Parts: sequence; structure tokens; C-alpha cells
Amino acid sequence: MAEKANDSTRGTWVPQDDVIRYELLEGNGPKGAPQGDPIMSVRNLKVSFATEAGRVDAVRGVNFDLWRGRTLGIVGESGSGKSVTALSLIGLLDDNAKVGGSVKFDGEELVGKSDEQMAAFRGKSISMIFQDPLSALTPMFTIGEQLEETLLIHNPQMGKQELRARCVELLRMVGITNPEERLDAYPHEFSGGMRQRVVIAIAIANDPDVIIADEPTTALDVTIQAQILDVLAVAQRETGAAVVLITHDLGVIAGTADDVLVMYAGRAVERASIDTIFDQPSQPYTMGLLGAVPKPHVAAEHRLVPIKGNPPSLAAIPKGCPFSPRCPMASGKCFEVEPVLEPFDAAEGHLVSCHKLAEIRERHLSFQEVYPELEPLPAKWAEVPRDQRPVVLEVKDLVKTFPIQGKGLIRRDRGTMCAVDHVSFKIHEGETLALVGESGSGKSTTLMQIMDLVRPEHGSIEVLGRDIATLRNNRERRELRRDLQVIFQDPMSSLDPRMPIYDVLAEPLRAQRWSAKDINSRIGELMHLVGINPDYVDRFPSQFSGGQRQRIAIARALATRPKILLLDEPIASLDVSIQAGIINLLEDLQVQLKISYLFVAHDLAVIRHISDSVAVMHLGKIVEQGDTEEVFTNPQDPYTKALLSAIPIPDPKVERSRERLVYQDGKLVSSSSLLPTLEG
Amino acid sequence: MARFVGYIAKRVASYIVMIFVATSLTYFLASAFMSPRSNYESRTPRPPQESIEASLDATNLNDKTPILQRYQRWLGGIVTRWDWGQTPTGVSVNEEMSSRIGASVELMSLATIISIVVGVSLGVYTAQRQYQWQDRFLGGMASLFMVIPTVVLAILIVFAAIEINQAAGSRLFYVTGLSSYEGGNPLMTFLDFLQHILLPTVVLTIISSVGYHLGQRTYLLDEMHADYVRTARAKGLTKKQAIRKHALRASLIPTAVSVAFSIAGIFTGAVMTEKIFAIHGLGEYFINCINNNNIHGAVAVAAFSGACTLVGALLADLFAAALDPRIKMS
Amino acid sequence: MSDEIRQDAPQAEGDARQAGDGEGRQLTNAELELLADKMGGSGGEVKRIGYLSLIGRRFVRQRSAMVGLVILVLLVLMAIFGPHVTPFTYTDPDFTSLNVPPNATHWFGTDGGGFDLFACVVHGLGRSLVIGVIYSVLTTVIAAVVGTSIAYVRGVPEKIGMWFLDMLLIIPSFLLVAMVVRAASGTQGWVTLIVGLTAFGWIGYARTLRTMALSLRERDYVRAAKYMGVSPFKTIVRHLIPNLGSILILDTVLGVIGGINSETAYSFLGLGIKAPDTSLGYLLSQGSSAMLSAPWIVLIPSAVLIVLCVSMQLIGDGLRDAIDPYSRAAGSVEDEAEQEEAPEPAGN
Repeated sequence: MAEKANDSTRGTWVPQDDVIRYELLEGNGPKGAPQGDPIMSVRNLKVSFATEAGRVDAVRGVNFDLWRGRTLGIVGESGSGKSVTALSLIGLLDDNAKVGGSVKFDGEELVGKSDEQMAAFRGKSISMIFQDPLSALTPMFTIGEQLEETLLIHNPQMGKQELRARCVELLRMVGITNPEERLDAYPHEFSGGMRQRVVIAIAIANDPDVIIADEPTTALDVTIQAQILDVLAVAQRETGAAVVLITHDLGVIAGTADDVLVMYAGRAVERASIDTIFDQPSQPYTMGLLGAVPKPHVAAEHRLVPIKGNPPSLAAIPKGCPFSPRCPMASGKCFEVEPVLEPFDAAEGHLVSCHKLAEIRERHLSFQEVYPELEPLPAKWAEVPRDQRPVVLEVKDLVKTFPIQGKGLIRRDRGTMCAVDHVSFKIHEGETLALVGESGSGKSTTLMQIMDLVRPEHGSIEVLGRDIATLRNNRERRELRRDLQVIFQDPMSSLDPRMPIYDVLAEPLRAQRWSAKDINSRIGELMHLVGINPDYVDRFPSQFSGGQRQRIAIARALATRPKILLLDEPIASLDVSIQAGIINLLEDLQVQLKISYLFVAHDLAVIRHISDSVAVMHLGKIVEQGDTEEVFTNPQDPYTKALLSAIPIPDPKVERSRERLVYQDGKLVSSSSLLPTLEG
Repeated sequence: MARFVGYIAKRVASYIVMIFVATSLTYFLASAFMSPRSNYESRTPRPPQESIEASLDATNLNDKTPILQRYQRWLGGIVTRWDWGQTPTGVSVNEEMSSRIGASVELMSLATIISIVVGVSLGVYTAQRQYQWQDRFLGGMASLFMVIPTVVLAILIVFAAIEINQAAGSRLFYVTGLSSYEGGNPLMTFLDFLQHILLPTVVLTIISSVGYHLGQRTYLLDEMHADYVRTARAKGLTKKQAIRKHALRASLIPTAVSVAFSIAGIFTGAVMTEKIFAIHGLGEYFINCINNNNIHGAVAVAAFSGACTLVGALLADLFAAALDPRIKMS
Repeated sequence: MSDEIRQDAPQAEGDARQAGDGEGRQLTNAELELLADKMGGSGGEVKRIGYLSLIGRRFVRQRSAMVGLVILVLLVLMAIFGPHVTPFTYTDPDFTSLNVPPNATHWFGTDGGGFDLFACVVHGLGRSLVIGVIYSVLTTVIAAVVGTSIAYVRGVPEKIGMWFLDMLLIIPSFLLVAMVVRAASGTQGWVTLIVGLTAFGWIGYARTLRTMALSLRERDYVRAAKYMGVSPFKTIVRHLIPNLGSILILDTVLGVIGGINSETAYSFLGLGIKAPDTSLGYLLSQGSSAMLSAPWIVLIPSAVLIVLCVSMQLIGDGLRDAIDPYSRAAGSVEDEAEQEEAPEPAGN
């Protein structure tokens, strides 16, 4: 696979075996330095796709080695090329992908092998765990059939009894109780976490040497995520395989990886062992990434520092260092020539790709020096204490039930499910209340119940002192909506793609019967308020980045000068480096406009940063409620304790030393006691 | 199981209500747009007025009787005696219908089976060769056959058959009816049947296999790109194996559902094909009803088609439930 | 606070520039719009045109679609100017030449009654086109309004609406239409035909559009509109229908074929267009009885119908590919890429 065309445009790039060699020197993680020969060696891996917009270079020369028993974490945001890297290791890229460079498994070259040849490796020597467990299993076949198939492909001689015994063993290994019965169940009868366990069982069935896990926990709740990471650790221990863990979540990496590769725009920008990367991040992007995330385990002291701009699109990678447009240190050469990985410290094998490497090394620059100074948190309208301010939203004993229907042909009612179970809370003016919970806890339902402005099944909702059950008609509802607005999770779907921004922002104002002139001037104000150039009003939502779109959604929600803003996971769909900017904006707006927020989220780190008080929801009930710091530092309810203990913390030393707690049947148990025992 | 029977019973009951309303509406529509009176008035010599009224009254087709009264009498006949009324000439609609359903079934059964087999095979074949020349060629043919009016297709095939007959100097293909052999030799009878059924079957097969072809291709392509196919490949199956073992199975479910619908269609026949090949099936009967102002006949055909459609819908549900483990029957 | 904004304003510009570069292997409509914007400059009004012109460009790039368009234009010209280039009309028979094959005087020959087939065909072509276009536009509009409304209302009205649609659908619409259009007669018969076709033609389509609108109504921007106090009617008109827009346009084009097919079928059965008017379907029914003695009477209208329908189909396919980047576009791109990189060894 010659890839000359690409090389000529991007400067010469030779496999840097002399640089890669430093890998062997690393060793400040829990497992020390790698020993022996790597099981897999990736050299100068390049993947490009032919698309309508031209050729897209998704991976542009990546090098790394994998050792048995070690975990390599690949971290990056969307479009960094991390998933494409993973798929190219196992030969599952689409047909229009062109792969260049070398991937050697146990000395054997994999690049250039046909689908049939690769099939012999897949599932046997190299296996893969995918992101979305809900769609990863064939819905037509039972769990047992799918597991057996995996075994039979590579061991056609296995007998029926033997197969079944091995399947039971595998399910037990990944922590599925009652494995004998569960073998005959279909995937749809399993929850997401259970299905991911099955996917892991499939991946380890043939005792592979390399396991590739592509965002294996991203689609899962935080407590399930913690369990799946534990199962993954068991899987690695059982098989002794090398694991590649691909994720955008630094917390996940901190607890599981031995070595880390940070990817940006299709290349590795920094590579180090786990403790080094967190102690001494030396590439400005890595620094920014680590600095931008709120810390779940410490109280918020200052504003977050966002990395400005957006991750580049792979179809249009900026000239020079791809990070240069966003880098606070960039100058001259950074905009001209793309840097290559160089040893930061020859003794440690810490590799960094940055033109400013020498400066960073000599001056011991860290996040604080590279990025603009940390600002203190904006003063939150301190003159009146929170609880003396007027209550703007009060929910009392709210109940919402849904009929449970059997899926499929016979939709009979199986009784009702209580999605929101006697929930009560109140929000004062200028206060942020966070509603925390996992999926299905009823937090979003609560929010929608408030937004619907109809008399609830049970209990009451008072908005600005007005009980919504007393709203007589749609006109009164519309008037109340002026003061009560909502922001959704995904700005991609909350803005009509066919409407220019002007019309998007005008919509709530028109609904409130504003005059055209007032609308016009208000839109100008709003654009300023959220930091979007007012000249862009004629553009369509698709012409903005995710972060900008969310700013526009915020502007729309603020249009009618509401007193209360309900936020449904407003930053969950954004890239890590973008989230900080939105959080800052929300904090600023609150101070400036004295709005109250009802903030629904599952990300506890963000909640700790932004909210004044917290209500933890579990199975429709609020199990604990109180001041944010109080709840985080001294949780009372066992579920809250388990939830807090499940958050992955972006600090490897903390991660390694703590014991997770798991909430089971109303009790707390330590997670190590739940780890599947091998003898079973 | 009891719950299952209960469910089916409930479903059937709601279907009966639907058919009742739809058939009633059709009755009113037909009564508004058809005029059996003109059958008599256009006769030469024109029969005396009293005799016209008497005949119309006897068949319950007199437009001078209030429509609701006629409707009541018509409905009463169906409910009490399963009597779907009479034609303007006084013949029982029940009798006329029953003889024609048989002809339609003879015509449609073979064509339906062949078109399912051909269509689904082509769909699977082309989906696996997406954008290759086979796919492009067969897809092009399919869209050609999809847009050509049935009449044109049938006429061209008839034309070609006649040319072949002339060139061969003997009647290889018959272009009208379903049989013409009068002898007692069963082999000859069968051969004669084949000679008659061939051309209409070709027409029907072309028309309906196109749908199965394009449908199956789309379903399989959808499933081919599903995540679970990638999982199957990650286990060590080649792409082709993964498609055959995993994607194909799922893609056959929607096809099976549309097959269920077409089974019911066997009984209602095909209007255009029957008309062109002079096969005295239900479709042709309907057109005759329309042309002869046979209100009761037309409504009976419509009601029968409606019943078949709903049986098809019920079958489709059952097929889906039997094939898809995500849908549970009880 | 003010600092934050000053900090962000220049960033916004940078963002927009980056966003304008398109991303990913599969371009969504949104990204196409974006590309169009990039190519079309930065004026406010230009953008919508930019999107359309991009669709236009993608359409023009497909040879088969252009062939279809050229053929259709020729057919339309023939229908408009045809009657004026021949001395004969479809109403006045030439008794001096009965059943004459195509010749210099009667370009398409004549039928048993001495009617000039060319005059009949161009008139019938016009009829077919008019019926097809009007039918298609009407059914699309009715189906869009009914389908999206049923999808949007939810609750009991939705159930009633669906029951009603299902009820209307259980009896094949072919039969219902036949009952209505049989009354068509004389020179105004084609109007009756359109009315009959439209009256029952929209139902199945409305059901399909409802299904599509169902997924749209769950979009956050529709929920957002509701929570902003926008009225249901405005939500349907402003959000639901425009977002079905490209599908509606495509189906209108393909619906013309359906209209032409129906006209042919009913007229052939003697239920649609009848003498003294004429149409392609009517000509077929006249000619089918004389297939042996005067084959041109069926063959010429058949050929015209095939050419007409195929040209519409080519246009429809081209439009679908131009609008939907997920359909054939990926394949054609692959081909292009392969051609470009032909000197290099093929991929793995």
C-alpha cells in the first residue's frame, strides 16, 4: 500500500522506530515498564476515505506497540481518528477506506490481508468490543447461539456439551447470574449493561491476544460503566490480552490504562505512561483537555478554562500543527509545519509533538501557565442569601405514571410504572438546582411535566407563585411560557435545520406576539449575549459547530427574558473541550440575568461545578437533596454514595487507591466483592 | 394461548367494524355514481315505465326509493341470509362471485409464488452486489417494469406472442381465457392450461416481482450496515458469511410481512390482466359490474377485497410474530 | 461577563470558518448546505439558492437524469406544438385513408375510423401529462396536510384519524376510483378523472407521510416550538412540512408517473377518457382489438407511454440522488476516487 501522495503534502514521515523505542522505558504506572516483545506493532498507520468532499485523512501516521497484559488508552475527541485506528487494527473498516503503513500481529503483517484472511484473526487473536451494546447483538438469535457461533467459527470440532459448558463459563466470568437460563434469552430481554457483558464474553471467548474496546462504556450509565470497566479488567486478567481502550473520557482512562496515546486530528500528539500524562501533560492540547474538565472529586474554586475553537474536521485539517488555531502558545512555525513526536524526557520515553517542546520543558510550563489565568468563580449575587430569595419554581408531590405495555403483537397493559414518584423541590431566584440520576430515574420526565404546563396527575407545580392547575386556557399558558424556557441536550436536533438563525430566535418572540421591530433589536442583543457574531443571523444551524449551536439554543431560550430555565443535559452531547465554554456561559448568564436553573444531568463533575443544590433521583424518587457540597462531601443515602463512588476520577492515583461501592437491593457493597469469581 | 386467542378475536372484531363501515360507504358511493335505471331506459324499444320501476324495485335498485331504505333492505339481506343482492338483471350476486373467485385463484396462485421466489432472490443477489453492474442492470430493469403501465406491458407481451405464434405456424400461446381443450385426456388438459396461463403469469410475475426485488434489496442493505453484522464479523465471520447468517435473516421479516398481504390478494385477482387476457375472474367481474351498473356486484367485490386485505394484515402480524423474537405472542 | 463575550466573539468567526469546511465521509443535507454556502459566498439571501443550486448541480452531473429531462422537455414540446404542425385533428377523421400504416401524410398512420394517429397521440400525450401533473400535485398537498396533522395532534384525534385512514385503505382505491370515474364522459371527462383519482389517491400516501412526520415530531425543535407557545398549526406549517420538503418534491415527480399509469388503466378499461376526447389509454384500448391488422395503433402509443414514464423515472432517480446524499452518491464518489487514484495499486 503505497501512500506517496499523502506524504508529499504533509512532509516526510518515516516510522520512528528510534522514538518508539522509548516506549520501553516508561514505567511509572501500576505495571511498571513493558517487558518482552510487543504482541502488536503499529507503524505509520494511515487511513483515508474517499468522500464527496474529497479525500478525508482520518488517521495520519500513528505508531504504537501493544504488550500482553497491558492496556493502552487512546484518548481523543470526535474526529480525532481514534475509532478508525481501532477498526483498522481488526480489519473492519468500510470498503472505501484506504489503509497504509503496517500493523503487525505477532510478527505477521495484517495490512493488505483480504477479508477472508483477516477473518481467521478476528475473534480468535484480535477481538473487539463496540460502543453501543443495544445494537451490537443480532436480535434474531439467542445469547447462547451468538456465543456458540463465536466458539464454533474457530473451533469447529467442539461438541454440543462442551460448547454449552464453555458458554456458561463465559457468562459467569462476565458476571451474568443464572448463566444456564440466560443462554436461551434473546438480546432484547437484556439491559444495556448486561448486553455489554455479553459482548465482552463474545470478545474473550477464544482467549484473544488483543482486545480492542471502542468507547465500551460511553452509552452506559455511570454506575453500569464502573461495573463494565471492572468486567473488562477481569477479561484482561483471564485472557492476559493486550487491551486497547478507546475513549474520550479521561476519567475512564485514569483507572484502567497503563499507557496513554492522545490523538488529535488523526495523529498522536502525546504519548506517555498513565501517571506521567496526568502529572505532567506536556502538549498544550493535552494540558487543555485535562484542565478543561470539571473535577468531580474536588469543590469548584474557579471558572473552567475552555480551549477556544473546535476540533478540526478531518476533511480540512489546518496547515501546520493542527492544534495551532486553538493553541494559546502557537506562533510562527506552528502555523507552517506540522510537528512530530519527540521524546520529552529521553529517560522516560514520554513523547510529545509540539514545536514549543523545548520551551515547555525548560520553563516547566503547565496548564496554569499555558492557558489564560484562572478566574475566580463569578460572585453569585451574594447580597441576599439563597434561601431568603423568592421561590420561582416549586414542585410538590409530583407523580407521573405510565401504563406499561407489553411490546409487540399483544399490547396488554401490565399495570403502571411510576416514572416520577412524589417528587418535591423548590428553586429560588438565581439558584441552580441540579437533578441528578441515571437513565430511567425520572429526571427528564419531571422536567417535561413542568414544561407541559398541564395539571399533573398528582401533586402541584407552581411557577412564579402560580399553580399551573389554575391555568385556564392556552393564552394563559403562553404567557407563562415567557418566563419558563427549556434547553435540550442535542442542539443539532433542537434547532430546525431549515430555519435561518434569525427565524430560530424570532420564533419564541413571535409566539409571544412581539412586534417585528422589537424582535429585530432583541435578536441583536441575544447574539451578543451568547457570543455569536450578529452578522450570522442569516445562516442555518448546520453552519455552526456543536458548541455554537448550543449557544444559539441558549439564546433562543433567553429570548423572552425568562425567569426560569430548564436545562436537559445541555452539555452531554458536546466535545470535552467545548463543554467548559458552555458551562462558563451559563454561569455568566445566571449572574447577569438572575435566572434560576433547573439543571438535569448525569455528569456529576459538571453538577458539582455549576449547581448550588442537588437532588438525587433514583427510580422516580428523590433519595437525597441538599446543598451541592454537602451532598458531595457527606452523602447520606446509599444510592448517592454508590453513584458518587462510580464516577471515574481523572487522576490515576486516586482511581487506583479507592474502593468502589455498589448499590444493590438498597444496600451498599464493595465492588470487589461482586467481581465474578473464576472458580464458579 | 387463551390470551392469544382473545387477542385475535379482539382484532377480528375491530376489523369487522372497519369492513362494515367501509362497505357501507362503498354502497352509498356506488349508489350515487351508478344508475341501473339507465340500463332499462337505454333499451330499444324502451320498456314501459311501470315495468322499469317494477324491475328496479324487485332488485332493490330503484333510485326513487330513499337510499336509507334501500340500504336497510340490502343490509338485512346480508345479515339474515348472507344474500349480497341481485344484479340489475336479477341474477344473484353470490352465485356470480363464487364462480369467479375460482378463476382468479387459478390465475394468481402460480404468479404469486413465482414472483416471490424470483423477486426475493433478485433482491438478495443485487443487494450483495450493490452498485456493481449486475445490480445496476437488474435495478434498471426493475424500475423500467415498475413505471411501464400494466396495459402496455401486457399488450406488448400479447403482441410478441402472436408474432411467435405466426412465425411458428401453430398456436403455442393462447392469449385469451384459461382453457379451450374439450377432450378428456388429462395430460392434454394440463398442457392446454399451461398454454393459457403462461402469458398472464409472465405479466403478473414481472409486475409483482419488481416490488419484492426492490424491497428485499433495501431491507438487506439496511441490515447489512447494522452494528450486529460488524459484531459478527469481529467474531471471525467473513463479510459474506456475516451477511448470510445474520443480516439476511432479519431482512426476510419485512418481506414475509408483504408476502402475507399478497396471499390474500390471490383471491381478488388482477383487474388489468384479467381484462386483457379475457380471464373471467373477480377483477374482470368488477369492471363488468361497473359498466353494467351492477351496484350490488361492485359493492360485494369491494367488500370481499376489503376482507382479504384485513386477512392479509392479520397474517402479516402473525408472520412477524412468528419470525421476530422481539415480538411476543403471549 | 463582558470579558467572556469579547473573548468569544472572534472565536465565533473562527468556528464558522472551520464549520464551513464540511466533515465526515457522509455529507448530510446540512453539510451540503454548508458547502453550498462556502461556494456561494456569504450574502444572506444567497444561501437558500446556494442549497438549491447545489442540488441542481448534483442533478445535472448525472447523465441519466439529464437524458430524462431532455426527453421530457421534447415530449412536452411535442404535446404543445404537435397539434399545430399537422393538418389533421383528433376530432376529424380522414375518410379517404382508413387503417393506413405510418406514411408521409399520416406520420403515425390512421386507425380504422380514419383518425390521424399523430394528432391523437400528441393530444393524448397532453392529456396524460396534464392529468399526471395535476393529480400528483393535488395528492401530495392533501396527503402532506392530512398526514402531518394526524402525526402532530397525538391522543384521541390521532387515533380517530388513523382509524379513518385505515378504513379508507382496506378497500382497494382502484375499485373506489373506478366507481367515481365511470361517470366521466365528453370533453370534460378528464376533469372527472382527476377528481376521482385524487379523491382516493392521497390516502395511502398520507399514511406514509404520517410515519415520516412521526419521527419529526419527536425532534427537539418541534418540542421546543411547543414549549415556546407556538400554535400547532404554525408548527406543522413551519417545521413539519418544510422538513419533509425534499421527500415531497421527489414524490410529486414520481407521482406523475402514477397519475399517467392510472389514466392509462382506466381509459383502457373504458372508464376514464372516452370519445370524442382521446388519450393514450383510450388509443390502446381502441388498438388492442386490431393488433394483428394494424399493430401501429397500439405500438406507437405504447412507445410514447414508455418513453414518457421512463423519462420521469430517470428524473425522479436523479432528483433522489441529488437530494439524498446517502443513496447512490457514496457509490459514485467511490468510482470517482478510484479513477483519480488509478495509478496507485488498488486498496486492500
